[in-house]
Amino acid sequence: MRTDVLHAIRLARIDLTLVSRNTTVLFNVLLLPLLMAWLYTQAVGAEKIDGVAGRLFVLAGLPGVLLVFAVFVNLVNSFTARREELVLKRLRASQPSGPAILGGGALGALVLYLAQVALLAVWMRRAEGVTPANVPMLVTVAVLGVALFCLLAAAFSGLTPNAELAQVTVLPVLLLVLVGAPIAFPADTLPGVLGHVAALLPATPIVEIARTAFLGGDHISGGGEALSTGGQWVAALPSFAILLAWIAVAGLLARWLFRWEPRHG
Amino acid sequence: MRTPQVTDPPGLDSVIEVGGLRQAYGDFEAVRGVSFDVPRGELFALLGTNGAGKTTTVEVLEGFRAPTDGSVRVLGLDPVRQRRTLRPRVGIMLQEGGFLGDLTVAETVGLWEGLSRDTGRTAASARTFSLPGRRRGTDPGTMDALEAAGLARKARTRVRQLSGGQRRRLDLALAVISRPEVLFLDEPTTGMDPEARRATWKVIEDLRAGGTTVLLTTHYLEEAERLANRLAIMHEGRIHLQGTVEEVVAGSGDRISFRLPGISWTFGELPPLDGVSPVLTYGGDTGDTGVAYTLTGARAAARAHAAVRLLLDWADARGETLERLAVRRGTLEDVFLRVAGEASPAGDAGDDGTDRRAGGGPVAAGPARRGE
Repeated sequence: MRTDVLHAIRLARIDLTLVSRNTTVLFNVLLLPLLMAWLYTQAVGAEKIDGVAGRLFVLAGLPGVLLVFAVFVNLVNSFTARREELVLKRLRASQPSGPAILGGGALGALVLYLAQVALLAVWMRRAEGVTPANVPMLVTVAVLGVALFCLLAAAFSGLTPNAELAQVTVLPVLLLVLVGAPIAFPADTLPGVLGHVAALLPATPIVEIARTAFLGGDHISGGGEALSTGGQWVAALPSFAILLAWIAVAGLLARWLFRWEPRHG
Repeated sequence: MRTPQVTDPPGLDSVIEVGGLRQAYGDFEAVRGVSFDVPRGELFALLGTNGAGKTTTVEVLEGFRAPTDGSVRVLGLDPVRQRRTLRPRVGIMLQEGGFLGDLTVAETVGLWEGLSRDTGRTAASARTFSLPGRRRGTDPGTMDALEAAGLARKARTRVRQLSGGQRRRLDLALAVISRPEVLFLDEPTTGMDPEARRATWKVIEDLRAGGTTVLLTTHYLEEAERLANRLAIMHEGRIHLQGTVEEVVAGSGDRISFRLPGISWTFGELPPLDGVSPVLTYGGDTGDTGVAYTLTGARAAARAHAAVRLLLDWADARGETLERLAVRRGTLEDVFLRVAGEASPAGDAGDDGTDRRAGGGPVAAGPARRGE
């Protein structure tokens, strides 16, 4: 187990070195999401949502969307390209185990994601004067969110024939998150079935937990009333349950669909 | 946590054991009941044409896929189920494997060294490759591996800028960096120039001399003849022959050859010698269109002697001279081509010095006809 962790750390460091040498990837995982965040805040204007300023409401929920860029899109590309170029096969032929190789990818993605969230926190502190109310909860949801989207990326890479087509394969998840996740509105404000569906989307619990962790109010059952630290954890339990269920589903999908080598013939 | 010291099961004579291995992909059976053993410290070569099943066999041994049927053990362990225990003791050079192209050569070797250290393996040193000294600057172990691979001058070059042969050498450096007990080399010198090939052979010989057990697949018969203690020739998923080079070649008998004097003879006029019919050859022993008889079995030398006398008498009677007449012992290439040719529908192995049997088999010499 310790060897796996050491291998994962080593591979994550290499991943980050490679990201630092690729300006396109740097732009996609660091600047593009922040640009989108800015656009979201311009869209909601000054109106209040769930008892907080709309801009603040959006920024606090953005970690759920950032995951899609820093982890999901990035890793579907990376896993697919490395499988087709036989890099995954070479790594498997050396010392690291399969979980260590995938874990290295996830760890590198986690570092990038935390950098994005840190930038977001600095933005919120400077522009809105808000600091995260519950950092442990923020870190917990970040780790679980990265685990979920890493597993989804592994599964989707298995459906992707080559790196060029990865841009197409990721679209359904990307659109589902951008449209369905409660970034600019609470999920329960959607009418009827749509509200129930939105509440069950993979990014929704992450958005709601991150918002609660940032702002300290109840942004899960709605209303945004202030909660104690313990109250925040209790309020977030249903969302954590949905998140864990998604992780289990994504784990099964990854096990079923992920491939280490290109298809022959 | 260091990898626990693994003790070989008592009485482990063979480091690699393959028994009745079968491997199917859907309806296609790539390996059809292959069996062989490789004792500790031996270099065993798998020879075969493309699609013979060599790489599939090796990849089962490397733990990439579970066998469809049969048993496979490496160091007494199941390569798939006991991968975690086995992998630190094994080095693998794939026939084809990708690199992280934006890393430099030194970074790549450094990564593999680190991965080995994390597993508790000591990274390869200059002593492993019988190399002198170390350079300053890059990590000493990394430099050793780079020098062994002949890539010390390329340490700062991005891997994507290396030539095919240089990548193969880097491949070898990565495979041996953990000082493996067992080394799998799948066509290790493909794409290398002759000098690099010989340097690679030296590294492999040093490793074997150091006690590493090696399983090698290759297309190059010279490579197998030089390196292998024992070898097996595979064709269409089966092993047709195995043993030492001498044992395998012994069955190929003696070969009598001469240039076909096309002006006055036809192939059909040639007599059988010792019950053996002639075969046409192209560009091989005679450097031109020629004729060869291969005499196998007991007392091949004595029978070759008598056959040559008969052939010369036969030529004298017609007032002909047999150009480039030669008698030589059969080679590994002869055996290899015979195995490959036996299963080919036309018995036709090509135009590069290989036998071509008219009508798909030995051609019986017909009634003598002159001047056609």
